Amino acid sequence: MSYHGGGHRRRNYRGQDEYDDRRREVYETPEQKLRKSIINLGEVDPVQELPRLAQQIRTQEPLSVPAISEGFRIGVTEQPYKIPYYAALLRLLHDPSPDAPESNDADNTPSLGKQVLEDYWKGFQAFLDKLAWREIRLCIHFFAHLTVAKLITPQSLFELLKSFTAVLEEFGASHGRAMKAALCAAEGLMMAGPVIKPAPGTDVSEIINSISMYTESVSSSKTLVQPIVSLFSDKSIIEHADELLDSALAALRALNDGDFVQTADSFPQPYFDYPEYAETPFDLPSVLVPPEVIELDGLTTDTGEDAQVKKEEWPQYYTRIFDNDVTPDPASPVGYAIRSGILDIIDIFEVNRKECARLLLEYPKWLLAGTFKPRPGAPPQEPVPGKDWQLESTIMEATLGSIFLLPESNYKSIYYITLITELCKLSPSSVGPAVGKSIRKLYSLLADGLDVEVAHRVADWFSVHMSNFNFQWVWKEWIPDLSLSVKHPRRAFMRRAVEFEIRLSYYDRILKTLPEPMQAPDALVMPEEAPGPDFEYDDPAKPHYESARSVLDLLRGRAKADEVVAHLDTLRNTISETADGDTNVDSVIRSIAVQSLLHIGSRSFSHFLNAIERYLPVLRKIASGGTAGGVNVDARMDVLNAVFAFWKRSRHMVVIVFDKLMQYQIADPTDVVAWTFAFGGGADGSAGKSTFHAFQWDVLKGALDKANGRVMIARRKVTALRKEADDNAARAKASDTATMEVDSEAKTADVIPSAESPAVTTALKAFTTLTREQKAALARAMDGFVDCLVAEARPNPLAREVITEKAWHNRANWGEAEWETWETWGWYRHFGRMYSPYLRNYVNTIAEVSLSKVAPSPDPAVDLFKKTWNIATGQE
Amino acid sequence: MAHVVTPLDQPSNYKDSQARVDRQKQNELLARSTTLYIGNLSFYTTEEQIYELFSKCTSPEEGGGIKRIIMGLDRNTRTPCGFCFVEYYTHAEALACLRYVSGTKLDERIIRCDLDLGYREGRQFGRGKSGGQVRDEHRQDYDPGRGGWGAQAQRLEIERRREVEERYADAQEGPGAVAGGGGDWKDAGTADNPLKRARSPEDEGDGGRAGARARMDDPDHDARM
Repeated sequence: MSYHGGGHRRRNYRGQDEYDDRRREVYETPEQKLRKSIINLGEVDPVQELPRLAQQIRTQEPLSVPAISEGFRIGVTEQPYKIPYYAALLRLLHDPSPDAPESNDADNTPSLGKQVLEDYWKGFQAFLDKLAWREIRLCIHFFAHLTVAKLITPQSLFELLKSFTAVLEEFGASHGRAMKAALCAAEGLMMAGPVIKPAPGTDVSEIINSISMYTESVSSSKTLVQPIVSLFSDKSIIEHADELLDSALAALRALNDGDFVQTADSFPQPYFDYPEYAETPFDLPSVLVPPEVIELDGLTTDTGEDAQVKKEEWPQYYTRIFDNDVTPDPASPVGYAIRSGILDIIDIFEVNRKECARLLLEYPKWLLAGTFKPRPGAPPQEPVPGKDWQLESTIMEATLGSIFLLPESNYKSIYYITLITELCKLSPSSVGPAVGKSIRKLYSLLADGLDVEVAHRVADWFSVHMSNFNFQWVWKEWIPDLSLSVKHPRRAFMRRAVEFEIRLSYYDRILKTLPEPMQAPDALVMPEEAPGPDFEYDDPAKPHYESARSVLDLLRGRAKADEVVAHLDTLRNTISETADGDTNVDSVIRSIAVQSLLHIGSRSFSHFLNAIERYLPVLRKIASGGTAGGVNVDARMDVLNAVFAFWKRSRHMVVIVFDKLMQYQIADPTDVVAWTFAFGGGADGSAGKSTFHAFQWDVLKGALDKANGRVMIARRKVTALRKEADDNAARAKASDTATMEVDSEAKTADVIPSAESPAVTTALKAFTTLTREQKAALARAMDGFVDCLVAEARPNPLAREVITEKAWHNRANWGEAEWETWETWGWYRHFGRMYSPYLRNYVNTIAEVSLSKVAPSPDPAVDLFKKTWNIATGQE
Repeated sequence: MAHVVTPLDQPSNYKDSQARVDRQKQNELLARSTTLYIGNLSFYTTEEQIYELFSKCTSPEEGGGIKRIIMGLDRNTRTPCGFCFVEYYTHAEALACLRYVSGTKLDERIIRCDLDLGYREGRQFGRGKSGGQVRDEHRQDYDPGRGGWGAQAQRLEIERRREVEERYADAQEGPGAVAGGGGDWKDAGTADNPLKRARSPEDEGDGGRAGARARMDDPDHDARM
């Protein structure tokens, strides 16, 4: 909150109400105080604080075991970096109380620690019942450390881990569920391996093999979510990125090969500071991981497809930015431990990015000494061979890896982006260089197959980051790349990054940040002019100038909508009398009308909204092709083309205007999808290109998200109405039985008809219409990609060529067409994985319509196209 | 998940000092608010810049998006005076801004976001004595982004200023001065009146009670700055 300025206690102008009651200090009970002490363990030095805290817990009056275990539960699940120390604390609490050493019933009452552990287990069971996966996994960390501390029997922990690998053998377990269960087992074994492996009745290879078999079974879906693309290969181990579960497995194998000696080198074990626990350890009860509950609302489309969206999780590839001597190898035991520790902090503290940044920079405090290089100014330390990594680079790598997860990051990428901003603010001199190196590395990967969507996110991060740090970037080191093909991913990146920067700032400001060779118009980095409108009819020398001016005069004079419509009709007659034969008069009229409306609304987003809201009837009339209620695709395309022509110097505005035209139902998402494939590719809206680039993707995404979002709203509405009806029915029933003889007048309002109410019927009808539109939009998009890459009627030899290994190794010689085709493949792949949950619902209809147009096989392009489709729709 | 740190999307001490509804009612409104008050903007920041940054918190696939942006204007000169309202379609998007965007820079100034009770007619104007925001009445420092102009001012900024001064010269007062932004999808077949403005369910809820509910004016974002 520092940006609020210091000491901002409000002056009290208007009396008592000024004091914010939401922030008033509340009285803390002793139990709350104790809980807080447990949570705050280690503010200064955990090792020193442990005995004191143990003593404080013991002397608590009255002693409440549930309160203590609640403190442990919060500590473990919300501050996982402290787990080894919580294990040590619980170890201390297992000792007999020092104040009552002669206690006569010491043999009968279990130690305080054991009571806490028993109560803690109940909390774990509750997490398990809710399938709160992160909490489950972190509790298993805790149990694993407790097992090493000899407070839990190794056999019972082994059985617990095995109940998680059992999930991997379930029939039809989703990847998300299987992955999370596998991570529970793998991480538990990494920490507790030293005691599980030698224990009788256990076999760690069972766990390892089970995970290994699972990861091999999902190898085909891995190829679709790798951040570094090689279209000719289906290997799951790649350079510059690692898959989370594969890395866990590799780390586990390395540990097992060395009989888990490396565990002590990877995880702190502070409980070994205390004498070995000699009493009977706790046996974890056996558990069953409950099945996933899918709430079915039974809503289907008009053709009976299940329209429920089940977001499927994919294998998680983290982009690798630094070498193993700078950041630890995530496939090594200690490297895996560090990265997953960082990922947990990023995940848990999403609610407060500022605190998250602070905790990340303090992370080394919780690790073994010598893991990271000492901070500048800190006392020098003897470097530990094989460690001594750079903290800031390690944090950056994990954070950027989270942004670049495909098909989408766990949280919105802006979270990770502003988290990096906070890191830079906290420690500019150490984080700044790590940011710079990351940008350079990602930029270099652009030439080696960095996925198109990842490249898009890099540009997004770059622009927002620069916007927070005075747009200072050393552009001049990229000047030599201006000699690359204009469609080379690096040059596309430069244009994109600059375009995004201009959106956040303004043209002249960004121009100043570039070195001269990049400012030049022929460098094609900066747009030629600042973004702005281009009214086609602003020059008396241009055709239809007078007609457009007459329309503008009406609009500026705030003429009524029907006057404008009438005037447009008159204009149509006038123009068709004078125009030559090939002029499409309807198109001209639409262009004049739409551009004039945009012109009067061109000053700002609000001006635009005001203009179209005032003249909605005019727009509806134009977009329907003149016939009331009719759908005229040409008319819709004319409207969208007019928008594109008017805003050709601001693609940002094109996306914004399309969004609102869909919002006001002037155009449907399917129209916009059709437009982006037909006209979005050319600089001037000319039709017929068989490539697809980033701007077209932005338009496509806007349209598909709109269609999907509407179905979501409609679904929520039906659910809410039904619930309301159910509640009313229940209430009516209750009041019926409770007050049999009360006046009937009050009751009549609550009587629920047996059939669904008119409101529900209307909502269901809307749902049906919207799912139809959703299916149409998705099918149209699939159709578009077929046309670009593999349509029989539109052969595209390049589509076949760029996917070969030979061509890829020759990419230094690629021209514009090759790069454009390669990019088109990239967006098709992203379309498949991004909209996979929706495509799955309509797999049959879409396949029937679109795949029938595909050229016959054998054709490597067709094979890759179909394979991608099959992976995306879960058929492979 | 709030035992260890305070989430950034908790309600802050921002409030509309002229709101005439009680605190409890205000809290209820804020708990489902889709509107943000954005403060400490440069006078020269455009709605498109705001749109770009704030669209990073949208969830269109959940039915969200930016509904509208209302630029705060100087009452007298009709020029931007350093604040605005951003209205989303969903509450979650507004909360995401508090967590991710508030306290970061836009147009090279650190902006702040707060949940707002919702736009009411007239709130787009500053309420300081000279037409702008109250905070700019009493401000001592030189702030080139907020009208603190001197000889050393950069020429670029002057050029932007000229554009900005013209942009809102046509701003209106009264009902309908501000666009709605488009409502939920409606079946064109059953729409009774195509001329009717698209409205969101929240707007419909307001209609009947607007008179009874208190007048909510410009927020008092100034007292603390």
